Amino acid sequence: MNQNNFTSLRQLKKVFFDERTTRGFISFLSDRAKVIAPCKKGENSYSFEYIQNPDEVVFDYPRTIQPLKKFFLPPRETLFNFNTRENSFSEPDIESEDRIFFGVHAYELQGLLRLDHCFEEGHPEYNYLRRRENTLFIGISYTPDDWHFSRSVGIEIEKLEGFCLYFEPLDSGFLVFIVNEAGKNLVELFGKGAEIDNDENFALVEKNFRVKIKFHHNRLPQVFENVYYSKVWEEISRKCLGCGTCNLLCPTCYCFDVRDEIELDATTGKRERFWDGCMLNSFALVAGGENFRDPLSSRTRHRLHRKFKYLADSAGDLFCVGCGRCSKYCPAKINIIDIINDLIGDFAGQQKRVLI
Amino acid sequence: MSKPKVAFFDFASCEGCQLNKLNLENSLLSILELVDIVEFREAMDDRADEYDIAFVEGSISTPTCVERIHDIRRRSKILVALGACAVQGGINALRNSQPAEWVKEVVYGDDKYLFPSIPVQPVSAVVKVDYEVRGCPMSTPEFLHILKSLILGRKPEIFDHAVCVECKSSENECVLETGMFCLGPVTRAGCGAVCPENGQYCSGCRGYVSNINTDGALEMLAENGLSRLEAVKRLRLFCSSELVELDGVK
Ligand code: SF4
Ligand code: SF4
Ligand code: SF4
Ligand code: SF4
Repeated sequence: MNQNNFTSLRQLKKVFFDERTTRGFISFLSDRAKVIAPCKKGENSYSFEYIQNPDEVVFDYPRTIQPLKKFFLPPRETLFNFNTRENSFSEPDIESEDRIFFGVHAYELQGLLRLDHCFEEGHPEYNYLRRRENTLFIGISYTPDDWHFSRSVGIEIEKLEGFCLYFEPLDSGFLVFIVNEAGKNLVELFGKGAEIDNDENFALVEKNFRVKIKFHHNRLPQVFENVYYSKVWEEISRKCLGCGTCNLLCPTCYCFDVRDEIELDATTGKRERFWDGCMLNSFALVAGGENFRDPLSSRTRHRLHRKFKYLADSAGDLFCVGCGRCSKYCPAKINIIDIINDLIGDFAGQQKRVLI
Repeated sequence: MSKPKVAFFDFASCEGCQLNKLNLENSLLSILELVDIVEFREAMDDRADEYDIAFVEGSISTPTCVERIHDIRRRSKILVALGACAVQGGINALRNSQPAEWVKEVVYGDDKYLFPSIPVQPVSAVVKVDYEVRGCPMSTPEFLHILKSLILGRKPEIFDHAVCVECKSSENECVLETGMFCLGPVTRAGCGAVCPENGQYCSGCRGYVSNINTDGALEMLAENGLSRLEAVKRLRLFCSSELVELDGVK
């Protein structure tokens, strides 16, 4: 058991909600703001959706198909509308409504915090930051499956940063930990949970990760400094289909492309931006038809260097949060854990040779 | 400025693509304000000698087709191939893998000598094609994008990435999660991933991304439980002219 994390939870004030109270709490939240929570999608998948009815909310889910990114950087959005005859343009209003995200896993919020960094630094990105205003996040614990590995990148299941409340399941309901003032206010206003004495001990269930990276995460940038020419990249590219799923689902991928679409009146139109990714053909295609990252091996190499080296160097955090989406949904069954562990093997081999 | 002269021609096909254009109802009148449609067999009977833009549907399958398409190319400034048959040979090209004499006998019986035919080819195998609108039937938004771009003198932007990109952007449940197989990871986007959106696998009607990893695709299909022969058949259904390396796989 990871003592430290449960210790940090134990210091927090908490209340107990049974399942009915929890759904009642979601109703209560819906009266105050738009509520977004995980719901069932299709036969075997989940997605974050705006909630109409608290019964739709799923508490125990491995991961949603898309991360929270879609609420702040939509897959497709109009940047402005234009009129070529009047030589004018207008930007659509971006509403900033109160939104509460319920049932969020720690790696998910960590992904969003990393996106915040990218959109705040340098030239602040108005559309994203506007949508980020007035948002609250309520965390929930999860049981890692065959693809989660967030502990290996330094993100514990109970990492509380960014949450106002944190839900830990018990047999009969949830312990609701009050993380900050905003969370405290919500629980007090709701006023229904059973008070729990802080000395009372609960048998919190220990959760283990089934997969992990062989090295401590603080060594990964060093590994990546030494594996640019590894044969591993070539090996992966034999299976890789270049489909871009790994980019499109990653909580910390934010690349987009823009395109002008003109209406049939040949006068009005709009400039749209839509998600793009470094695994895709046109991404590194430049004028004259040159593609400076043509082989799939160089694209995967770039994608992983973004996660474990380039952005990690500039932002101070790894940009992979261990959600496992890129591997779980890769149609070629390429697993990022295997890639990293193979790279580590390569690096360890190099170190040995240096010693000899 | 006079309106560009636009013509539509069809070769071996089901003419579904042309019908798809007629289905544009709402946009049709606006299109007619921008261009002069001078030839369109499904809709009118009028002829001109030169075209600014020729849209060609269907595959090339007879010696007469070859002559006609050369003639059209000579008279057209820009030639656009419409739909899977014109772009990749489409379903028609499946017959190339069968003995030609046998195919003719099945189709025409005793009259087979009256109908000379050649192996089915996409338009680009015979003449230069400037732009392609993929799909079976062709995708109407892509058709409109190309038409508008050409009228305005802009270069159309056609995606060369997988259906998965559109599928993930709409956050569909991946059909692989429900135990199906899917050609979306190697098929060219542009249809809005309509099949997976409706719970069906992508059968590759739009042809493949330009950098298809054929071995990788076969490996994926094997993982999904398809035999090698079945996998090759699936991959070639709409695209035998694109995956020539799979010729002769039994
Ligand atoms: S999801 Fe898998 S197959 Fe698709 S581009 Fe990424 S690694 Fe390659
Ligand atoms: S790289 Fe993969 S595991 Fe890491 S955050 Fe992105 S999708 Fe998740
Ligand atoms: S359903 Fe098909 S197209 Fe959609 S993500 Fe899955 S593999 Fe790709
Ligand atoms: S999903 Fe696949 S089969 Fe369906 S229309 Fe698109 S390309 Fe064609």
